[in-house]
Amino acid sequence: MSAANKSIIIIGGGASGVLLAAHLLRNPDPDLRVTLVERQGRFGQGLAYSALQRDHRVNVPARGMSAFADDPEHFWRWLQRREPGRHATSWTFVPRRVYGAYLEHVLREAGESLPGRLRVLSEEVDAVRESKTGVEVALANGTSLVARWAALAVGHETQPARGKGIAVRATSDRDTTLPPDSPVMILGSGLSMVDAWVSLSETKHTGPVTVVSRNGLLPQAHKDVAPITIDAADVPFGTSLTYITRWFRELIAETEANGGDWRSVVDGLRPFNQRLWQSWPDHEKRRFLRHLRPWWNVHRHRLPPDLHAGLVRAVESGQVELVAAEFVGIERQGDGARATIRPRGTERRETIDVARVYDCGGVSVDVTASANPVIRQLITAGSARPDPLHIGLDVDEQTALIAGDGTVSQHIRVVGPLTRGRFFEIEAIPDIRVQCAKLAATLGT
Amino acid sequence: MLTKKGKYGLKALTALSRLPEGQLTGVAELAQANAIPKKFLDAILAELRNAGFVRSRKGKLGGYGLARPAAEIMIGHVVRVLDGPLAPIPCASRTRYQPCEDCDVETCQVRHLMLDVRNAIAQVLDQTSLTQMAAMGGAEAVEQSLTA
Repeated sequence: MSAANKSIIIIGGGASGVLLAAHLLRNPDPDLRVTLVERQGRFGQGLAYSALQRDHRVNVPARGMSAFADDPEHFWRWLQRREPGRHATSWTFVPRRVYGAYLEHVLREAGESLPGRLRVLSEEVDAVRESKTGVEVALANGTSLVARWAALAVGHETQPARGKGIAVRATSDRDTTLPPDSPVMILGSGLSMVDAWVSLSETKHTGPVTVVSRNGLLPQAHKDVAPITIDAADVPFGTSLTYITRWFRELIAETEANGGDWRSVVDGLRPFNQRLWQSWPDHEKRRFLRHLRPWWNVHRHRLPPDLHAGLVRAVESGQVELVAAEFVGIERQGDGARATIRPRGTERRETIDVARVYDCGGVSVDVTASANPVIRQLITAGSARPDPLHIGLDVDEQTALIAGDGTVSQHIRVVGPLTRGRFFEIEAIPDIRVQCAKLAATLGT
Repeated sequence: MLTKKGKYGLKALTALSRLPEGQLTGVAELAQANAIPKKFLDAILAELRNAGFVRSRKGKLGGYGLARPAAEIMIGHVVRVLDGPLAPIPCASRTRYQPCEDCDVETCQVRHLMLDVRNAIAQVLDQTSLTQMAAMGGAEAVEQSLTA
């Protein structure tokens, strides 16, 4: 194979793929060539940033959304040029499509830095095969590309909705318009649930909305407070979940007793979340996922305050009902659905008839059931495997793909949320951009 | 600085790391072999158990053993549990900060230097596992260095 010496094919043109391309192209080496392949032909608009609805917004303030960790104002400057005078401060929550447009701009600018080094293709990738010297990437159109490296940046991926295809994913093709007064159910308590509720509000939906999740929690609201300063020397790495939880609660209590806010503690710990995760043995990670994750998520992944207030009003008015229960199953019932749930702490089954059940149970984590052909092919061929916790792909500390037999790939890397088994805190731009910068630095030398 | 409690805890863990896998040892034995007051060791082991580093079993065949492989237990992690945040002087801790009576936090040069020192301490201690520490010094290592 005549793989160009410093060529890389990035598979996936969503936020992770664009950020990696942009970081690679900051390297002035003219031999470093990047091919970005995206099946939907829209770059920078993966699952997170393609929302068409007006009210779907980025859940992180603009000041945290720069593509480059070493230039934190990059997005804010772009936003002020695009919408002069519209935002009083960088503590503003922009529509996701605006952020998608920013990522497109980042990609275009990166491509113009040294013409000819970036190639973008609107194709589906079927397979990635590794040789001793590089990779061959097979496209669905029958052709293939060769390069020294491939980077999987396939990002978030939604699995088919639960319940034998009766439940529906919000904003999918099957999410057709409902009569505004019809009752609906939403499964999940995270930001995807809020997205579904926002879509319903957009259509002036007046019918009752039952939100079913294990804990019946709502995501918390953002507040403009600075994170507290924590050093690595303060953080009790490697301790049991019980121990660290107590430490964390005490730190919050102390901070609040001094007039501070719990959010400052959650955000202050953020730089250490990956290290904390990695310091735990697998059984503590499993305990965290099972018992603490819902609670952690509603505090860590917060909502713009006005959106949160709207949701709270809808709960207070009775239009939205929060139910802590386990989702048991679903059957068709005329044009609608009959959902069965088991309220938390009981063995009782309850059935609820609704016009539609929205499955907002978060994003896919079981890579063996991936809807993406290239992930399926890599798993089937034994070139990839799930991480020990089954929440993504198994990778090493340098994000190299780990094969079914444990071999570390020399030429295939993974970026973005699919590496969450090793890094956990790798869902949002501030973390993905750091990961991309590190990878670009190692591949570029 | 490392307190006596921290030092005793590390010595006890080193001794536990040398036990054959799955075997437990009694507190009295452990205390005697390492010259640690037994009551103090009881308290130390209870804290280490809370933090998930050691496990215990009651009864005649009971005692203490490591809860995780020694290669996964980092010295810095243990010291934080026994002695609190790593800090050469109390005012150089962020979360357990104790001001000194004689100076101002922002302008005290000593404190600023000690903040750097604590991060350097963390660097070393967090990259040293119990296995690595257990291999340091001791009769075998001395013998090796003499014959090398």
